[in-house]
Amino acid sequence: MITSQFRTARPETGRQARGRVRLGEHNLAGYLFIAPWLIGFFAFTFIPIAASLVLAFTNYNILSPLPHWVGVRNFERMFSHDPRYWVSVRQTFYFAFTSVPLKLAFALALAMLMTAPRRLVGVYRAAYYLPSIVGANVAVAVMWRQIFGTDGVVNAVLATVGLPAHTSWLGNPATAVWTVIALAVWEFGSPMLIFLAGLKQIPAELYEAAAIDGAGMLARFTRVTLPLLTPIIFFNFVVQMIFGFTVFTSAFIISNGTGSPLDTLLFYPLYLYQKGFRDFEMGYAAAMAWVLLVVTALLTALIFKSSRYWVFYAQEEG
Amino acid sequence: MASVATAKSTPHGVMRPQAAPLRDLVRILTYHGFMIGFGLVMLYPLLWLLGSSFKGPSEIWTNISSLIPKIPTPENYVRGWAGFGSVTFATFYKNSFIYAGIGTILTVGSSAVVAFGFARTRFVGRQFWFGVMMSTLLLPVQVQIIPQYIVFTKLGWLNTFLPLLLPRFGGQAFFIFMIMQFIRGIPGELDDAAAIDGCGKVGIFFRVILPLITPVLVAAAIFSFYFTWGDFFTPLIYLNDPKLYTISVALRAFADPAGATDWGAIFAMSALSLVPVFVIFVLFQRYLVQGISTTGLRG
Amino acid sequence: MPKLGRREFLRIAGLAAAAAASVRYAPGSPALAQTPLTLRIMWWGSKNRHDRTIKVLEMYQAAHPGIKFTYEFTGFNDYWTRLATQAAGGNLPDIIQQDYARLVEWEGNRLMVPLDDFVKDGTIDLSRVPKVSIDGGRVNGKLYAINLGNNSQSILLDTDAFKRAGVPLPDQKWTWQDFEQIVLTFRQKQGIFGAGYEFSDQQVWKSLYIARGQWVFSRDGRSLAVADDGPFVEHLKMLLRLQKAEAIPSLQQEISEYHQNIEAQPIVQGKAAMSYQWSNQAVAEAAAAGKGRNYKLVHLPRPKGGKPSNYLKPSQFFSITSHSKHPKEAAAVIDYFTNSVEANRVLMAERGVPIAPKIQEALKPLLQPVELETVRYVARVQTDSSPLPPPDPEAFAAFQNNVFNPLVRDAVLLGKISPEEGAKVLRAEGNRVLAQKS
Repeated sequence: MITSQFRTARPETGRQARGRVRLGEHNLAGYLFIAPWLIGFFAFTFIPIAASLVLAFTNYNILSPLPHWVGVRNFERMFSHDPRYWVSVRQTFYFAFTSVPLKLAFALALAMLMTAPRRLVGVYRAAYYLPSIVGANVAVAVMWRQIFGTDGVVNAVLATVGLPAHTSWLGNPATAVWTVIALAVWEFGSPMLIFLAGLKQIPAELYEAAAIDGAGMLARFTRVTLPLLTPIIFFNFVVQMIFGFTVFTSAFIISNGTGSPLDTLLFYPLYLYQKGFRDFEMGYAAAMAWVLLVVTALLTALIFKSSRYWVFYAQEEG
Repeated sequence: MASVATAKSTPHGVMRPQAAPLRDLVRILTYHGFMIGFGLVMLYPLLWLLGSSFKGPSEIWTNISSLIPKIPTPENYVRGWAGFGSVTFATFYKNSFIYAGIGTILTVGSSAVVAFGFARTRFVGRQFWFGVMMSTLLLPVQVQIIPQYIVFTKLGWLNTFLPLLLPRFGGQAFFIFMIMQFIRGIPGELDDAAAIDGCGKVGIFFRVILPLITPVLVAAAIFSFYFTWGDFFTPLIYLNDPKLYTISVALRAFADPAGATDWGAIFAMSALSLVPVFVIFVLFQRYLVQGISTTGLRG
Repeated sequence: MPKLGRREFLRIAGLAAAAAASVRYAPGSPALAQTPLTLRIMWWGSKNRHDRTIKVLEMYQAAHPGIKFTYEFTGFNDYWTRLATQAAGGNLPDIIQQDYARLVEWEGNRLMVPLDDFVKDGTIDLSRVPKVSIDGGRVNGKLYAINLGNNSQSILLDTDAFKRAGVPLPDQKWTWQDFEQIVLTFRQKQGIFGAGYEFSDQQVWKSLYIARGQWVFSRDGRSLAVADDGPFVEHLKMLLRLQKAEAIPSLQQEISEYHQNIEAQPIVQGKAAMSYQWSNQAVAEAAAAGKGRNYKLVHLPRPKGGKPSNYLKPSQFFSITSHSKHPKEAAAVIDYFTNSVEANRVLMAERGVPIAPKIQEALKPLLQPVELETVRYVARVQTDSSPLPPPDPEAFAAFQNNVFNPLVRDAVLLGKISPEEGAKVLRAEGNRVLAQKS
């Protein structure tokens, strides 16, 4: 009975309600539970978001008290007169679509290696998670220079094995973005922890039952682990994608806010910040922000729609 | 994959006694070898930071590569701790703890409640509000900050923790979504069973769901604490008085491109600022690995 | 005693000035003299500066029980973010540290208070300060900012490295050709760089034209005023030659290692014989290099037969914002920073060489060798320099960050486009960005 309920894929909506509770009570209960978020939204978030939408159609340099309306000129400038804009778009897509799969792959692989209750697992967990908490620390830039700098560790290691060891990984436009990708992937500890929690949710009986049915390690992984992990994979994928597109701090710290070399580190949110707080063109920055929101919302909605086909939930209460 | 013990209990036949221990030994050694090796690679940057935090000002830039300082200089920690003027790092630590501690409790608590609402109750407009909630994750804080700042100025909340903490009563989209996904992994039969026993939705939340999502709540708490601990943008804008600075803001005020910067102190305090988050993680990580009690699933 | 005199003067004049001042600056403020007053002040810097400035504020509070400070400080990168947000919220401090590059922008938005009256009535005593050190703070003829210290571009020389290589120290009138020769010599004879980073910085680009008596921007700040791209193209070609010969570090290396981290200049580790910086930054480099090193500062090279590339620049200012309700008291604080010997004994010329001659004299015996050298150097520059160019135009930040650095400097020195193309891009895109600001 247990295995059967997990083998069938059920779409998350479209199930019949269990017919036990009236719809009116449902509504009340629902809104009651999400009330904290609703109140918070209308009190603190709605106005700034609405204001930023209005700002997108204005010329607002922060220092002068009033913005003035310019219609769609910001968007026009963005799409047709701003070469750096498209550079930032391209770099962001490149970063997101490279770092996210790598990060998730490492996270899942290491999580799987750590579910076994061997000795020292707790130590390993801590060691692999530790890089993730470094985050926005000012020392990160210096650390990263120590590793990828011309006289850094990577080059030192390359030299010992006889490979060419003079690249300025951080300064070479061809390689600079990979140092930031490396930084993102280095911090795989967070999604790893979430995978761990998810893996622990899978009851051991299922593995035993599968083993009894004759499944080897690979089969156990693909038939038990993966399907049951899909809600978590889905979560990590969505969230890391969103993070990938809104990445700011690492590029800011590594390039000292400039996006150099040759704008290869000019990720979209960094360019946005430059426009808003360095060039004082807040209206333009707001316009950029809303374009980002629309694009990422579409992407996220796409991933959600696709989840119908590959994400398996345990049965849901109506 | 769940445990070595399971593999041993297969009915595939008796294992040869002599070869088995050797094979196991090799496997164990490979495992630990890899984990330790890769772990050291992962930790190298942090080890370097720790080593450099003990280097004196003359050595930091002239002896960059080595992990071990020639002349250990714990004075870096003393100078760094002294902070600015009369405001020491004790104050910054206190402020960071207030912000991260209270912020985490508020965030995780509210997010759990809201997540239950989205995941387990059907109500008109659920999809719509869920979409709105997810959209708030997508708008960068840099554009929201100016209008938000004006609102909080008019309310007179500048230079307090209110703008940082009050919005957290509503939970945060990231955590709401995360907890939702875990709640969805819990079979609905448990809810039904509780309902039959006469539980209302609230009862189901507290008696059935909450105990089962403890691992993810712990994960959420760890993440929330760490996100908040490292957050510098909103504290930078709303906390003007240096006595209210959190560690993240204080550290950024240490370095100046044009003037003399005390890098030893920066490294020392940076390394020190990682300690609380790490300690919290170590303390709570075993709750992360408690799985769901399997008895709840039978029958 | 001077302190008491100033305090009494304040109390007496305060009442009289209240009526006059309230019309223009502080509507509705009560009788200023007896009520304890809170002044907000904000600056950027590193821990070194924060500690010193806080101490001076505490000294002022001790001497003036009627005044209390709330202070704020950040690193440079965050300073303008927070300040702009406060400007938007109508919440600026009374006194802010100000930058030459932002003066026009802030004056254009009417965020600062003119200080001429305070100078005239002696609240801010600039009687002995040379005009050249004051006029940097003027926009459209009005004084908006008080110079906190002078500095100038400079080349730091590692005199021991020169001795070892047998190269004579350059004269202050040396040319870029001399520079090229010396730099190549160091690579050939000693296997080290001749000089370090930042030779492609926009400050150096500007100096190429200053030395020819021109200013790169038009008077209204909305376009580039350079007729001849030749000097810039020649300079870029020279840098490319030197990069290739490894006489100076490549731009890749600069981006990778440098990041405005002055202690990372190769001269600190003995890997270069010279380095470019603003004169007050030399102190940090010397400190990072440790004991036993000897340095001298020399002018920036000039074109053959050209005027001096150097000019005396206010490193930073103090301004009073238009949100301040107590501009007169704020002005008195600025005077303290400028003229008080005991205050400057704490500040120790960390912001640049103080403008008041008596302060310079008072500090000289207390300074470390390199600090003393910067004071002497600034004095040398004063006698051999071009006039201070006008402040950067309003769109300058946008110009530097969107055009000069990514599209010109990076593109040429990373080998993506030729120097001639770079000059074309500078002209086309630069003019476009400068004209955009309305």
